[in-house]
Amino acid sequence: MADSNAPKPSSSVKLVLLGEAAVGKSSLVLRFVNNDFQENKEPTIGAAFLTQKCNLPSRTIKFEIWDTAGQERFASLAPMYYRNAQAALVVYDLTKPTSLVKAKHWVAELQRQASPGIVIALVGNKLDLTNDNESGQGDGEGEGAEGEDSGDARKVSTEEAKSYAEEESLLFFETSAKTGYNVTEVFTAIANAIPETSLKSTRGPGASNAVSRGGEEQRVNLNGPREAAKEGCAC
Amino acid sequence: MFNLSSFVQKAQSAAQQLIDPMQGLNLTNSDRNPSKASLFQSQFRLPGSQTPLFEIPAEPYHPSFQRRLHLSESYLCFSTTPTSFAQTASTSTSSAFTGQTHGAGPSGNGFTFPLCAIRRVERLNSQNFQFSLAITTWNGISQEQAKDKEALKDRKDFREQRITVQLAGSRQTCERFCDGLKKGLRGAVGSVGKLKRVVSECYSEYLLRPEEKKSAASPDAGLGVVFKYPGDPKKLRDRAKMRLWAEYLRDNGRNATLIRQPTFHKLIRVGLPNRLRGEMWELTSGSLYLRLENPTLYTDTLDKFSGRESLAIDEIEKDLNRSLPEYPGFQSEDGINRLRRVLTAYSWINPDVGYCQAMNIVVAALLIYMSETQAFFLLSALCDRLVPGYYSSTMYGTLLDQKVFESLVEKTMPILWEHLVKSDVQLSVVSLPWFLSLYINSMPLVFAFRVLDVFFVEGPKVLFQVGLAILRINGEELLDAADDGAFISVLKSYFSRLDESAHPKSENPKLRAINRFQELMVVAFKEFSAITHSTIQDLRLKNKDAVLNNIENFAKRTAIRNLGPDSKLLSPEELGALYDRFFGVLYERQQRDHIIQEEQIRRAKASKTRASEAFPEHHDHGVEKGRVGLGPSTSLMDYDAFREFLASVSKWAISDAPPASPRRDPSDRNPYFGSFRRSDPNPLSPWGTGPEPANHEFMQRLFRKWDVTNSSSLTLQNVVTGLAQIKGGRDIMGTITYFFELYDDDGDGKVDREGILRVSEALLFLSRRGLEGVLSNSNSTTVLNGMTEADSTSLSPPIGGTVNERFLGSVSAFIRRCFEYADPDHPDNQDELAQARSHNTSFIPEEDKVVEDGAFTIGDDGDDDEEEGDLLAFEGSSAEKLDLTPRPPALGKPTAQDTTQRAVSKAQSEKANVALDPSNPLHITLPTFRMVVLADELLEQFFESSFPTSLHIIDGLPNVASQSSSLTTFSSLNFNRPAVAPPPGTQPGLAGAGRGLRGVLDNIVTDASRVAAEVRRRMEEAQRELEKNALPGQRDEDEEDEEDLQGPIKPSGAYSGDAERRSVRSSDRDLLDGADADAGSSKEIDNANQSRLETNIGQEGRIGPANNNATQRIVEFES
Repeated sequence: MADSNAPKPSSSVKLVLLGEAAVGKSSLVLRFVNNDFQENKEPTIGAAFLTQKCNLPSRTIKFEIWDTAGQERFASLAPMYYRNAQAALVVYDLTKPTSLVKAKHWVAELQRQASPGIVIALVGNKLDLTNDNESGQGDGEGEGAEGEDSGDARKVSTEEAKSYAEEESLLFFETSAKTGYNVTEVFTAIANAIPETSLKSTRGPGASNAVSRGGEEQRVNLNGPREAAKEGCAC
Repeated sequence: MFNLSSFVQKAQSAAQQLIDPMQGLNLTNSDRNPSKASLFQSQFRLPGSQTPLFEIPAEPYHPSFQRRLHLSESYLCFSTTPTSFAQTASTSTSSAFTGQTHGAGPSGNGFTFPLCAIRRVERLNSQNFQFSLAITTWNGISQEQAKDKEALKDRKDFREQRITVQLAGSRQTCERFCDGLKKGLRGAVGSVGKLKRVVSECYSEYLLRPEEKKSAASPDAGLGVVFKYPGDPKKLRDRAKMRLWAEYLRDNGRNATLIRQPTFHKLIRVGLPNRLRGEMWELTSGSLYLRLENPTLYTDTLDKFSGRESLAIDEIEKDLNRSLPEYPGFQSEDGINRLRRVLTAYSWINPDVGYCQAMNIVVAALLIYMSETQAFFLLSALCDRLVPGYYSSTMYGTLLDQKVFESLVEKTMPILWEHLVKSDVQLSVVSLPWFLSLYINSMPLVFAFRVLDVFFVEGPKVLFQVGLAILRINGEELLDAADDGAFISVLKSYFSRLDESAHPKSENPKLRAINRFQELMVVAFKEFSAITHSTIQDLRLKNKDAVLNNIENFAKRTAIRNLGPDSKLLSPEELGALYDRFFGVLYERQQRDHIIQEEQIRRAKASKTRASEAFPEHHDHGVEKGRVGLGPSTSLMDYDAFREFLASVSKWAISDAPPASPRRDPSDRNPYFGSFRRSDPNPLSPWGTGPEPANHEFMQRLFRKWDVTNSSSLTLQNVVTGLAQIKGGRDIMGTITYFFELYDDDGDGKVDREGILRVSEALLFLSRRGLEGVLSNSNSTTVLNGMTEADSTSLSPPIGGTVNERFLGSVSAFIRRCFEYADPDHPDNQDELAQARSHNTSFIPEEDKVVEDGAFTIGDDGDDDEEEGDLLAFEGSSAEKLDLTPRPPALGKPTAQDTTQRAVSKAQSEKANVALDPSNPLHITLPTFRMVVLADELLEQFFESSFPTSLHIIDGLPNVASQSSSLTTFSSLNFNRPAVAPPPGTQPGLAGAGRGLRGVLDNIVTDASRVAAEVRRRMEEAQRELEKNALPGQRDEDEEDEEDLQGPIKPSGAYSGDAERRSVRSSDRDLLDGADADAGSSKEIDNANQSRLETNIGQEGRIGPANNNATQRIVEFES
């Protein structure tokens, strides 16, 4: 059977980041991959490619992350990057309402054009600019009435984005790439949400030209479509 | 998606419509045969203003040269590349430079002198009757001020640049060339000051200055002067390179007067020295010549737009801190400010491009080596010529070049390509950033700049050659990489080791010293030397359509999805078709504007210049400008475009003026007009091949209603929302309300007398080419007019035979009922009259405009209103009474009885209906309007089905040419005689239609009472029977009344006169048409005159058939 070769199967998942310019897509990835933050990150030209592993109890997910350029005119390049993606992170800046509009456009585009069954997470970034504390709940649970707080840079209320996410059956998170709040949670949740049927076996790791796979074994779905347990990523 | 071909063809015939193959990727058919001018500009990197005027074979006494001398308006170019741009030269001769250049670049060895850089030209005495010219240049002009005082001292360091050229042509050719040169030189004298200014910013001037005079500040050689240039100068052997260049420049001239020798290209290949890099980039890319054309453009632009804001500026701000952030210069305010200014200034002069991420990186790189001004012009040369379309709003150039790159990989490295396909790796995810940022953020900076050094000389093919070489060198490892990730990391690690030895294990120290970058350059330019500019150009042409279609599909998909909730009322197919139509109309209009402009320029030029000097104009923007895939031009629809849009979906929106329809089948052409009609459709028609749209008040109202932002233009969103309200609901109440609101100008829920008449006009306008949609076949509606089946069958011709005729009756009934059920504004207050008048004139503020340029006019001054009221009173009640028995239209001779009868009824009506008293302003409300509409089955059907259906969004109008002939108007009604009905598209039909419309709608609008009168006249014959007995007593009196009323409005327009006109129309129609048109707008007059003219001319040769034709028609009407 397919699972015979390793106790913890490893699969790679292609993930694409989409969203308006300067909402922090690259920063989220940088936080996730290197646990780092840079104030002045060079804008992404076309797309940047990074990988990171995420350990789940029953398997390891290797994310192949395509971090795309956010400027509007790069939008027509996006199909090149979300092609065959199994997961997408649609990011908006919760201090900028227009970025949520753009995010909705991306969601619509993905739902119609990307691979069927793509797991989409809606992420409101730059939580550090709001008055919300990191002590707040994670994993997309509502964060009370912070939307009404004054003197706060937040312009998109959690409720608004959350109800939209529910409508469209998206995962939903508010994060801060700067503080790292909720970042790994996003990726873990995505890893958990990927139906096992869509997982391929992992491919040769990067530069060291060691492993070259001729065929791609399609994993047989033995377990349920979803993993019940949730666990942090190994990063 | 768009009907391109016809425009392209036209473009080629109208004016040799050509695009520089290197400047702009607007690849059209004409690119396959590019203009001599654009090739010329490409070869010598000249600004778009330059065209090849003269050329002559020449043999300079300068070593190693032997080819051709070219003269343009302000440049004298010499090149060893065997090109010719003479009109007789073949395209392959003109584009020879796009092939193998052996490292010399398109401009080859030779020189490109601005004429203002030539100080003096002398003709030498020579043997064999040959012409020899000695050209002395302004080389080193910045030192000229020292001439007087230290002339002698300077002479030692400064050699005057003098070149001798022997012209090898016939005596006459030589004379002509010299004349041209003389003229050019005279014209260039004024630009010497500019030249001085421009070259003073070149570092070479400082470099070649004698040591003791170097006290003055050196020209700005970029941020590198302050923050150090990237790389280790020792390792780069910068000093040695500088010495070599100093020597070269001393011997061969500098900047504007530089002569390109083979050494020049070798020096570039080994890498430019830091301080000269900016200047050489500027020179080899040709941006120096752009700067010379307008040296102050940069500062002027900054001044002009100082303090202004734009989307591009917002985007630029976001990226300023993230452009080469690792270079110290961009951690400083100075560097950031320079970057901001250059990007901002460029976004202003090229708003189509604005700002694209990656430009920040490229400009940041340029600013390390050159001044802001230089970087500004170089960016311009990049965007327009070197990497066209890369940074445009759709980035079509980038996407296209990715496709080109992929096909090159497939061709040159089939095994690797196969591997990529098999492992489902998309090459462009790797290579796109290479091209977009010109390798600047892929390779270490020192190496990226080496690539740029060659790129500016040899053009975009360098990017491809380097890209292919990268893949070739890493081929083995790439074949082992099975996915995107592995692929990327192979290349990443390669780029990070470019400075390592390419052959670390070699025993040959020389070989060991070669680093990987050098190896890359060798592979790129040796192994891939077969990749020339022509190769790239051919592949671009081949892939262009697929790429643009992809972009357009994406744009369409995105746009449609983002149209908001209203769009859900329309089907996806309708939205798709609407999108295509919307942008189709805008696109075609731009094409036409462009072609018309071209033609005007061409004509203007042709009339001014001698034929030999009339060279095709150069254009920076291709004929395809406006195509969605090429980026923004406009996405706003103005009123004229809106008319054209409507005319493409609704037959009622097509003008009744006889169109110069290009689709007419010649066999259909009526001999009556055939000799006059322009046999070839005028390509310059403002409406192109489509029909001329109407310009009815209804369309203006619709436009204003849809234009929710009052911006006098519609977005796609506006049009979708507007149409969704009409077509989307399919709800009769909604449509009725919509219609009512169109005429409720002040939004107070009331439509006044004027508005009622306008509504009925609109109904007639919309129905004049027949009704569409689901209409009942029964004649039950006619019962509303008091007509029975028996009546209609007993009378000949049968009334109610067509729905369209019945609809006229319905409109008549509509007016009558409206006035019947109207509410008086102020029943007790007669003084309100004056107020009402002013209200009437002011409630449509654009009325005056309508009168001036509309096809239809509406008398709206106070006096008319008063009389109108009287007439309405007459109409309203008479319609009520007389219409009880409808009659067939009286298109033949009306009898005296009819006239009398009308007078009778008018008198009766005045007494009958107080509500129609002109001194009583009145209005109807929405409920009344609804009731009146619903009272008539046909009207109901019109609102329920016919009007929404009349907008054919998806399929459009099947045969536009024939539409205009099928007007349902009073004069063209022919009572269902298919045998004699004018066949669609024939001239009598058109003429009849045109006349018919004027006959009806003009009258309606100049004299509102005729709406009903015309309807009624149609029925008079049937009516006559019933009312025969009521006549004698009141005849005289009423006739007088009528004259009193009618006289002032339209002296010749009394009913009797009108009736008479109809009877004699066949012979005198021309004159009467003129009179008729008098009441209309000036445009209407033009139309009338035109058709009259046509008629006259047509008759000259063909009186016989014409008369026959006319006679026949009378007979038809009377039968």
